[in-house]
Amino acid sequence: MRVTTRNFDKEVLNSEIPVLVEFWASWCPPCKVMEPILHRLEIEYEGRMKIVTINVDQNPRIALRYQIKGLPTFMIFKNGKIIYRSVAAKSETQLRRIIEKVLNEEPLEEE
Amino acid sequence: MKAHNADKTCWNCPAAMLKGHVDFRACGQSMRRLQELSEEGEILIRCRRRPELGYFEPTITFEECPEWELTKYGYLLRDMRVLILGIDGYLGWTLALKLAVLGCKVAGVDNFLRRKMVAEKGSMSVVPIASMKERLKAAKEVLGVEIEFRKIDVLDKQRLGAFMKEFQPEAIVHYAEIPSAPYSMVDADHAIKVQHNNVLGTLGLLFLMRDICPEACLLKLGTMGEYGTPLTGRPLFEGLFPADAVLKWRGREWSLGGELTPRDPVSFYHVSKVQDTFNIYEACKYWWLRSYDIMQGVIYGVHTDEVAADPRLRTRLDVDEWFGTAVNRFVCQAILGMPLTVYGEGEQIRGFIALEDAMECMVRLIASPPEPGQYMVVNQVSGLYRIIDLAKIVADVARDFGYYVKIQKIENPRVEADVHPYEVVSENLPNLFGFRPKVTPEVEIARMFELLTQPHIKERIKKLAHVIMPVTWWSGEKRVPEVIEVLEPDAVSKGVYKPVLHTGLKPEVYYSMVRTRKKWRKVAT
Repeated sequence: MRVTTRNFDKEVLNSEIPVLVEFWASWCPPCKVMEPILHRLEIEYEGRMKIVTINVDQNPRIALRYQIKGLPTFMIFKNGKIIYRSVAAKSETQLRRIIEKVLNEEPLEEE
Repeated sequence: MKAHNADKTCWNCPAAMLKGHVDFRACGQSMRRLQELSEEGEILIRCRRRPELGYFEPTITFEECPEWELTKYGYLLRDMRVLILGIDGYLGWTLALKLAVLGCKVAGVDNFLRRKMVAEKGSMSVVPIASMKERLKAAKEVLGVEIEFRKIDVLDKQRLGAFMKEFQPEAIVHYAEIPSAPYSMVDADHAIKVQHNNVLGTLGLLFLMRDICPEACLLKLGTMGEYGTPLTGRPLFEGLFPADAVLKWRGREWSLGGELTPRDPVSFYHVSKVQDTFNIYEACKYWWLRSYDIMQGVIYGVHTDEVAADPRLRTRLDVDEWFGTAVNRFVCQAILGMPLTVYGEGEQIRGFIALEDAMECMVRLIASPPEPGQYMVVNQVSGLYRIIDLAKIVADVARDFGYYVKIQKIENPRVEADVHPYEVVSENLPNLFGFRPKVTPEVEIARMFELLTQPHIKERIKKLAHVIMPVTWWSGEKRVPEVIEVLEPDAVSKGVYKPVLHTGLKPEVYYSMVRTRKKWRKVAT
């Protein structure tokens, strides 16, 4: 799902379940090629983990609020709080490992 | 079914101008002018074509926007201004006519370098071509289209820039490069000329685009030869690694997704294309330019509806060792009764696409511009073939036209693998741009025989018999290669490696619109 400034608070901060957010931009090739993987995971984890993307160029206020300085930036929000933050593309295995840890409430290494 | 680009928005549209200075590359660091944004923090644009609308959010889709009109190639910006660099060439002229007929405003520049280089070889276009003046006149008389032309060398930044300012292109197709591997291997002067023209021409163009038309898409022609034939046998991805490609090292793992894949160019010409790739990639990154980098397979054939409309509208076809590519060479050899020559084993596998299909790909790409700053690569092929199998197809079709020819293996003057695995990914064009091939090699080769066996053209081919055989060796030698073996045309390929093409679609879907020779004959009669 693509979120924007308008529904960021509703879909991310006020979400009942944890949310993986990818901050991306059209000029970022790794961001572009990650689309199909994120889409696949979004369907697979539906109801347990929400997976959303937000374009930093189209939503500069959000990018500014979270001080996004490199792309892609991945963040995980749980009950409105950031519990994970990492810059750089991820393989599917890496993303699954992170998601599984959040779902099993295991500790996450921040970068 | 919805057009492939129906959901694209102002964000992709070259008519959209962003409000204020927005330096996106630096992300959160330099959003200095937040006062330029809407109340809710959205970026605003102004439409160059509809200034009366004032500032608004870039969310109107092509389907909704009255400036974008539905064509059979998807939505197309009405009167889209397309600048073709190298408009006098094989592809430039063909595309110019096609776009003009579709309603685009087409302008082109050329310095007629190709005509001069072919003359340098002592050759000429097999298909007679008119002068630019005559071409433009015929385009108006026969097709009712006006094309603007300027004689400009793309290395002349001042004149090219002045014309770009005047024309304000919304898309730029860059065909103004020297497209010959053997030409770049003749000697130091030729290699330097190729790299100078190609690399510096493109680099200068990028600066001009930054200053004059940063919203325009640059459609830059690369070649499958940039990738070479990696002996690891790994697939040739579309320029960048897909996200599920990973690098494993010492028990750790990284995604390679979005990184440029390695290149292994096969001549100094191909090296110039690789350098272009990097320059464009960087320009997109630094200045938010947008580009499709098109890795073309070998284009063959003579037909589009537009060039076939009048003899004065025909595009060139070369057969000499410098500019003649395999299929074009085979057809002319067959007409001369010469054996068809493959280099070495002839088991080289390459991607091919017929002229008509290649032009359709270009229109679809122009119709669906990238997003700001987006650099995207498409592998433009419609099938993979072993060279020796293509020679066989030519020999088969030749028989229908009364020519019986053999196939001969000659020493390979190039440094390349004669036998190698080849696996190509070409998923972007069919899946993101709605492309399906329409033409098989059999159909296009038959069309070539129809045109090239006309008496006046046959006469021209006879005069060019001496320039067909290669004499340019990658080693620097200059001699005609020796014959290794002469085969009957039905001698089968050893076929050690089977070509593998990934289109992301089932073959019956990907090839669902292809005209076989039987069907094509019905249409033709």
